[in-house]
Amino acid sequence: MKRTTALSLRLVQAIAAFAILLSSHSIGAGETPGFRRDIMPILFRAGCNTGTCHGAAKGKDGFMLSLFGYDPKGDYYRIVNEMPGRRLNPAAPDQSLLLKKATGEVPHTGGELFTRDSEFYDEIRDWIAAGAPDDESDIPEPVGLELSPERFVFEDKTTEGQLKVTALYDDGSKRDVTSLARFHSNNASVIEIDEDGRIAPSGNGDSHVFARFNRFTIGAEVIVLPPAEDFTWSNPPADNYIDEIVFDRLEKLRINPSELCDDETFLRRITLDLAARPPTPDEYHAFIADPSPKKREAKIEELLGHDSFADLWTAIWSEQLRIVGGNYAPVGTYIKAADTYQEWIRKQFRDGRPLNEFVADMVVASGSNIQNGPVNLYTMLSHEPKLNPKGFAADFSQVFLGIQIQCAECHNHPFDRWTMDDYYGFVSFFTGVTRKPGVESREKRIYYDTKAAPAKHLLDERPVPAKTLGAVEPVSTKGDPRRELAKWLTSGENEHFSRNLANRIWAQLLGKGVVTPVDDMRVSNPPVNGPLLDALSEHLVASGFDLRSLVREICNSRVYQLSSQPNATNKMDTRQFSRAYMRRLRPEIIMDSVVAITGQQRNFSGFPSGIKAIEHYPRTGGATSGPHFGDTFFETFGRSSRATVSSTELKLEPTLSQALHMSVGDTVQPRLSANGRLKKLVEKSASPAEALEELFILTLSRKPTPFENEGLVELIGEESKNIDVYEDIFWSLLNSTEFSFNQ
Amino acid sequence: MIQSRKMKSPLSFPPLWLIAAAVASPWSPIRAESINYDEHIKPIVRQHCLKCHGDDKQKADLNLQNYGAALKGGSGGDTLIAGRSSQSILFQSITDPDEDLRMPPNKPPIPKEQIEMIQQWIDSGLRESSESLSMLKERDTSFKPAAAADGNRPETPAMPDNWPDLERPGTENPLPVLAMDTSAWAPLVAVADQEQVKLINTETGDLLGRLPFPEGVPNVIRFSRDGSVLMVAGGRPVESGKVVLYDVKSGERLTSVGDEVDAVLAADLSPNQKLIALGGSGKVVKVYSTVDGALQYKLEKHTDWITSLAFSPDGKTLASADRAGGLHLWNAESGGIVLSLLEHKQSIRAVDWRPDSKILASVAEDGKAVWWDVSDGFPAYNKSDIHAPKRPKGTYGKIPNGVLAARFSPAGYLATTGRDMTVQIWSPDGKLEKKIPVEGGLPLSTAMAFDQSCVITGTVSGEVLFQRDVIEK
Repeated sequence: MKRTTALSLRLVQAIAAFAILLSSHSIGAGETPGFRRDIMPILFRAGCNTGTCHGAAKGKDGFMLSLFGYDPKGDYYRIVNEMPGRRLNPAAPDQSLLLKKATGEVPHTGGELFTRDSEFYDEIRDWIAAGAPDDESDIPEPVGLELSPERFVFEDKTTEGQLKVTALYDDGSKRDVTSLARFHSNNASVIEIDEDGRIAPSGNGDSHVFARFNRFTIGAEVIVLPPAEDFTWSNPPADNYIDEIVFDRLEKLRINPSELCDDETFLRRITLDLAARPPTPDEYHAFIADPSPKKREAKIEELLGHDSFADLWTAIWSEQLRIVGGNYAPVGTYIKAADTYQEWIRKQFRDGRPLNEFVADMVVASGSNIQNGPVNLYTMLSHEPKLNPKGFAADFSQVFLGIQIQCAECHNHPFDRWTMDDYYGFVSFFTGVTRKPGVESREKRIYYDTKAAPAKHLLDERPVPAKTLGAVEPVSTKGDPRRELAKWLTSGENEHFSRNLANRIWAQLLGKGVVTPVDDMRVSNPPVNGPLLDALSEHLVASGFDLRSLVREICNSRVYQLSSQPNATNKMDTRQFSRAYMRRLRPEIIMDSVVAITGQQRNFSGFPSGIKAIEHYPRTGGATSGPHFGDTFFETFGRSSRATVSSTELKLEPTLSQALHMSVGDTVQPRLSANGRLKKLVEKSASPAEALEELFILTLSRKPTPFENEGLVELIGEESKNIDVYEDIFWSLLNSTEFSFNQ
Repeated sequence: MIQSRKMKSPLSFPPLWLIAAAVASPWSPIRAESINYDEHIKPIVRQHCLKCHGDDKQKADLNLQNYGAALKGGSGGDTLIAGRSSQSILFQSITDPDEDLRMPPNKPPIPKEQIEMIQQWIDSGLRESSESLSMLKERDTSFKPAAAADGNRPETPAMPDNWPDLERPGTENPLPVLAMDTSAWAPLVAVADQEQVKLINTETGDLLGRLPFPEGVPNVIRFSRDGSVLMVAGGRPVESGKVVLYDVKSGERLTSVGDEVDAVLAADLSPNQKLIALGGSGKVVKVYSTVDGALQYKLEKHTDWITSLAFSPDGKTLASADRAGGLHLWNAESGGIVLSLLEHKQSIRAVDWRPDSKILASVAEDGKAVWWDVSDGFPAYNKSDIHAPKRPKGTYGKIPNGVLAARFSPAGYLATTGRDMTVQIWSPDGKLEKKIPVEGGLPLSTAMAFDQSCVITGTVSGEVLFQRDVIEK
């Protein structure tokens, strides 16, 4: 008896659940459609509120809707109340302009969006006939989406798939919203998706498809495989978990990784990557001669211990944090302040300071810009006479979280989870950051004015107290809220922070992030290998945010040490790390390499002679807000102008002017025979072949190939001690692609 | 808006109460009439402006260091306009909501009290010293009913007589009352309905008859000045639009003009019934002859949809208004521009003439109602937020506060409706006489009975409400 009751109860529940699922978007007979529940989704699906149509900032053809429906209240006003009698006609609903436009019965820039016999038409019509009611506050709120299936694997290109989208609501109910969602593919050359969520493979590779509904975006992974019969997994050995994860992915994609790179390549790669310079001939000979099977590991360890490792990471962060020294007083970016900041950063990296503490120090910093380095986060990140909390919050998030929240200033982020509430809550952390003049001229003191009003929401001007991203409740209002911000930001539990740092470190060493660009992480830009980013991030947290620890892990992986020579299966791969990707060296490293190889130093205006390019940061006599490269060489070679925090400011693509500069500019030519270094090298050598070998090792960290050797020896001929001939060869090597790339 | 009605003789003593107030408390607010450049404004501009706009430097050719130079203004245009702070560049730039454009640059805004002082100084007429006269000119805006009566009362004011029967439209809901008008001579109101116009007796509330308007939805209804002809304008949105004239007595269609591709949103019939002006989403005002239907002239100055049109009762002037707040006066015969009236920032919902043709009223979604002295285009009375709804608890930001309709009575009273769900009655000289709450939805249209015995209001839910005894006789 008891059992029957339980059973029947469960049956009732099941039926109820089924009914909820079935309720879908079709309204039961006699039920009045509601504006937010039923009409807004139709406007979204039909595309009325996209950015090119009525969702544009000023609307279209005199009618404005909020972009993708972030402002239902405003949309209701504009449709129903702004111009009564114009858009809706309750007396004759079929005469309503809204319907006639959508069905294309009257001229409409957007054309026909649905037909008169569609469900969409009926629902809008019934809603108008019912007096166009607003259903504010009496409907369940969507809290998320589910996608099924979550992953597609296509063995061939003839099969198709179908996505199903389910919306989850705060009352626990679910609703099939496939017919109301909007879909897009990240890469149409791999996978195509139509407006109803049907997907069709178009080329080999991996990509994602996305569904959007309400303010949510959700993605499903899609893999389109090459034919199985052409593929045999090479089963390379895995040296650590990084290899396991990357190789697992490659095997699934039917891609074989390249071979391990040779010792010459490894030595040059690791030295450029960790010490920002090429190996010296002595280092070369010692490493090649070392018989130890653990010599690569030992080399990594050795380089991690050098100051130049800290110098390189100081340069990377200096660029990211927009350090520019100037003379323009209102901002506080005085050269003295920039120096203090740069030196503070360098000390943190030399001391191996945990990255989370390094960041937290800056976030909570107060005091003098000249005395207290980290406080310059609040002068340098924005370079404006008055700190603009909105711009600052957006830059802050981009740098420390890899998230671009600025879209949410005017509307909920259309392709990510961030809402306007998130945005304004985050801005409120910085509304109290204030500068006042210090004792010294050009000195500024940064302090937090706890009485400052929080940011106001754009839509309703409601004050939004400081709140971390994604949180519902604001942080405690006592005192300086930046303390709460730093605590949340740098906690090991904040995945956004650790994933951002891990991804940037990976990108530095592999030439490409697991998420690209590194400062645009969002739901609709997922990692190419999710487990890899998770593992790197977890390692970083577990190591206590130790930069050297994660770098050590990555450099010791086979993945890092793969050759750049492709094989038949991976020659098309540009994102799964199946081979080393050729990377143009940073401009500072090209300069330091030329200097190291020729032995002739380069001076930088305003800096003491003898400093390395990697230690240099831009200085100017005036205001610091604009683009500043610090030196024309850096400008030519694509150094970040530091005009924004964007990672795309650094441009590592080769250009014609770079080639011209290397061949006829003042960087290479005057240094070729400087110091008599080349002459000594030639005189010391017993034969042209020996001289060539030393020259190759000096410049490219490798011996010449037999082909190169043969040709060049022939070219030298009788002129075996003629320095001019060797100068020409030296010039050619410094002008080779190989020289300015890490491969 | 401060209106200087009587000019003070510079030799006369200040009023006694002013002396008393000054003695009693140094903190009592300064009267607007005593604010002047030398004593009050100079210290403010010295503090905030003279570094860039003074004798040393004249950015934008502007020098505020002395009264004469300040009045001359800078290269930007009208720096100071007596009585019109909202149109004075000086006031606009110190109150600009855009921080990047606001003066003084890169500094916190000028304190509120000082801004108010400047505003009052401009609005009270830009006095130089305590001895100076206001620069506001004396204006006579009084209403003389006689002026309205020269339209000559018709011997027998037209009433519907034996109209053919017409079924009420088979609609699912009542049409919002988008338009209505009353006869100036008879107890008669015409009200918009779906593809029809209803005529109702304002004394009894009885339905007197229905006119067919197969063209669609009536957006504008106007009786001719003598009450014999009814003009109905409207159509189907983004399909077609027309203006139709009917004989009030017989209910016959007299003529129609316009072949629009969108519903007509604004229209009026000239007092001599020879011209019809119409406009809508095309942003162009077209004026047709009722005699042969020929287009007389076009007005192409507007930058947004035309929302309201009105011929002055003396037939000389045509007023046209648009959705961006633009308002222009034209010579009704030739179509030549007379004046542009700058004040509204949002869609103008209605313009109407006081029957003496001296004053034009305009109301807009920006919450303002302005009584314009059309002799020089000066806002004789300028009221803000007259229909602002009460703010619900716990809400912030702007709430829609638009004025939706405005119509003068033959005696010069103005009825307005707005988003606060009230109808308000204003005296001929712009004083609020009565505020009546409206039940049953947003009041979209209003008019007063010919004898002012009642005000009639039409709501979005299709109701026509009669309020009696609103004006004390």
